[in-house]
Amino acid sequence: MTVLACVQWPPPGQEVAPPPPPLPGFVISSFGPLVAHIAGQCLHQRHGAAPPVKGTVAGRTGVVMVSARGDMATAYAVARAVDRGDRVSPLLFFQTALTAVVGRVAVRWGLAGPVVCISPEDHPLGDGLAEAASLIADGDADEVLVVLPEQGASPGDGDAALALIVSGRTVSDCTVSDCTVSDCTVSDSTVPAGQEGIS
Amino acid sequence: VITGLAVISAFGRGIPPLLDHAFAGEPAFTQVTRFDVSRRRARAAAHMPGAPVLAQELASTVDKACADAGLTVAERASCPLLLAARADPADLRHQANGRPPGSPATMAAAIAAQCGLSRLVRAYTGACIASSTAAAAAASAIRSRASQRIAVAAGYLVDADQFALFDAARALADDGQVRPFSKGRRGTLLGDGVVALVLESASAARLRGARVLARLAGWGRAGDAHDVSRPHPGGAGLGRAIRAALNCAGVTASQIGYVNANGTGAVHSDSSESAALRGAFGRTVADVPVSATKSVHGHALEASALLELVMTLLALRTGRLPVNAGFIEPDEQCPLNLILQRPRPASARYALTLNAALGGANTALVVAAP
Repeated sequence: MTVLACVQWPPPGQEVAPPPPPLPGFVISSFGPLVAHIAGQCLHQRHGAAPPVKGTVAGRTGVVMVSARGDMATAYAVARAVDRGDRVSPLLFFQTALTAVVGRVAVRWGLAGPVVCISPEDHPLGDGLAEAASLIADGDADEVLVVLPEQGASPGDGDAALALIVSGRTVSDCTVSDCTVSDCTVSDSTVPAGQEGIS
Repeated sequence: VITGLAVISAFGRGIPPLLDHAFAGEPAFTQVTRFDVSRRRARAAAHMPGAPVLAQELASTVDKACADAGLTVAERASCPLLLAARADPADLRHQANGRPPGSPATMAAAIAAQCGLSRLVRAYTGACIASSTAAAAAASAIRSRASQRIAVAAGYLVDADQFALFDAARALADDGQVRPFSKGRRGTLLGDGVVALVLESASAARLRGARVLARLAGWGRAGDAHDVSRPHPGGAGLGRAIRAALNCAGVTASQIGYVNANGTGAVHSDSSESAALRGAFGRTVADVPVSATKSVHGHALEASALLELVMTLLALRTGRLPVNAGFIEPDEQCPLNLILQRPRPASARYALTLNAALGGANTALVVAAP
């Protein structure tokens, strides 16, 4: 498997990052803006400034989102509103579905491949790359954007994310050295052998 | 191949209530009693009585599916679990009291431990395509020989948070019925669904003399890249998912004898799906019987695709195609060969089951008689 682009958040050298830019239509939570921002940076690295034309490689790019708990800030906001009997914003309907922010990225960049969202138990990067390899091996995608966002305890605090664009059908040879982008370091460097039993 | 199955729906536990009522087109929607809906625009859902707990229902359903497949203790111990579910909303409330929240993956790990399954687990969280994506991932891993046997489970129980969200977005039918592909449809309604399947390679099943219920013969996944909240009006992504699934199964559209449609009862979604089917089937779309069984069991969100896969499998096994309930009159945007009024007899060998999620994510699965 080859890593074609790679971006991390907070950016290298910054322990605490500023909040990601706002994302129209997504409120309350930093999750959607973070996903859109880091995915956009990664796609920019791969394709340049302009969104690629449909029918190019982006049209056969899938997206795998890997997040243990997903958008917790939105989930808490909904739970609080329901328990208090407050009105629930219709905007939250869209952003509680993890596929919605992925759709936002897909529309912007013309990504017409499959969308897979997973919650990994122990090996987020390994599970994400395994899903990506499976989509490519099945012929549903040529490249896959793998996004790994996790929210901090409070809004915007401690959010972290990694985004990669990968190609290839096997994950066994994927290591940090395959990440060709120099400013990207991946601590969870190899696909754990135990995870190969799933896909 | 699929060798084990267990299911819970608003109709009750197991397969017989589905065959007796869901197939006949008797909707399970009633006024919600599980939580307060007095402030909501819509009031109905398809839910079981009482307050079932998702993790408990999932564990018992996975256990039953493994027993149905006849798995030994050793076979269970080497069987990974793929789970499609969101974290239990009750867990969010506990977290507010200082306990760390569970994730869908930790729920999967606990269920696997309870059922004596392998520690290899993964949870799928992609909303309405979560469980079809899990089923496709399992089938793909088995076909590529990475695994010989995988348990796939999915669960959603109608809850106050999702009800409030769907209601706020005016996505729920305020007339208390889901009317897929019908003129006058007013939206969807939520429904309980807890489902588990055991998938394994044909050779592994043969070796242990397992009964084969059906084959998951093909799978396709594709995105619309069109809009966050509305599907592509021509069904572009779903059409590509259908073609990919047919190609994967090695069958043509003319060999498909039944389509279990996504059919949420939403205006744009149903017309988009009709366009996808017309595009993928061409002129033969008029020949293929279609029904959307959300019209009887409701929309089970993360579990919807697996519940509909079970309905599709039962249709192939019984030779009865389930009814598309709630139909008032034809919609020119949805010119499909709908199964109305009573189940239709059929001798289909192959069937399609379709699903789509917000953001334009689509899946198609081809189910084959054994």
